[in-house]
Amino acid sequence: MNSKAYRLVILSLYVAMALILSYIESLIPLPLPIPGAKIGLPNIITLVSLLTLGWPLTLLVVIARIFLSGFLFGGGFSIVYSLGGGLLSLLVMSLLIHFLKDKISIVLISVFGAISHNLGQVIVAAIVVQTTSLLLYFLFLMLLAIPTGLFIGITARELMRLLNKTTIFAKLNLPQKK
Amino acid sequence: MKKNEIMIIIGLLAVSLIGIAAFYLINASDEPLSVRVTRQGETVAVFPLSQDHTEIFTDAAGSNTLEISGGTAKIVEADCPDYICVKTYPISSPGETIVCLPHKLVVEVITGES
Repeated sequence: MNSKAYRLVILSLYVAMALILSYIESLIPLPLPIPGAKIGLPNIITLVSLLTLGWPLTLLVVIARIFLSGFLFGGGFSIVYSLGGGLLSLLVMSLLIHFLKDKISIVLISVFGAISHNLGQVIVAAIVVQTTSLLLYFLFLMLLAIPTGLFIGITARELMRLLNKTTIFAKLNLPQKK
Repeated sequence: MKKNEIMIIIGLLAVSLIGIAAFYLINASDEPLSVRVTRQGETVAVFPLSQDHTEIFTDAAGSNTLEISGGTAKIVEADCPDYICVKTYPISSPGETIVCLPHKLVVEVITGES
């Protein structure tokens, strides 16, 4: 099969799966006093996509997922915050993979991704409501991001391990280091 | 995962925990506390935390009902799409905040009289 078409199929699959995961996530409210805290399930797809398609295409996956899930489940308003978090998180994870690919595990990348996701959201929120007093809120989110980031990272690592046993990525013609 | 990665994660946990503890310690005070309501950075109202009080804040975006009772403040009602402010736990320590993003409203506990 044409490798460009193949890549498009994989890309669409990622968007579809990320969208389903955001929907599932919206059904599971965390029983915590920290508003806006989420598990970050769609980040499993972001991680897998980063490792298989690279950041430029993953940027498309993330933006498509945020806009689609924002319009479908979140009310248009949540898009701005999700974008702030999603883009900062993607930037941090891409840089970590680019510069430290052989020294850092998916799990740790996921933890940093989770923390930067919260940071991005809090920064956008602070700009929107024009307050500087969200530091405590961010610290609570960061504390929570560590276990959720670990969970997402371990899930993504195991998923990659299973997917690498298949021939799904063989046709992508991308270097398969990890 | 390698040993040094576990150390980094423990380090991150420590940073957030120490940060939270430091935040409460630095902000702790014996002065009377107040509740400040701001909209887009502008102070709308300040109430003493010690007096029970209920007030509805309305603007073009919508309304939030603030209730102060028994030394804690919380948003009991709002017509925003996400209800995040209503789900936030009651606040009572200086520096704690409740944020209503859709209405750009911030409720925070501050030290000092109103």
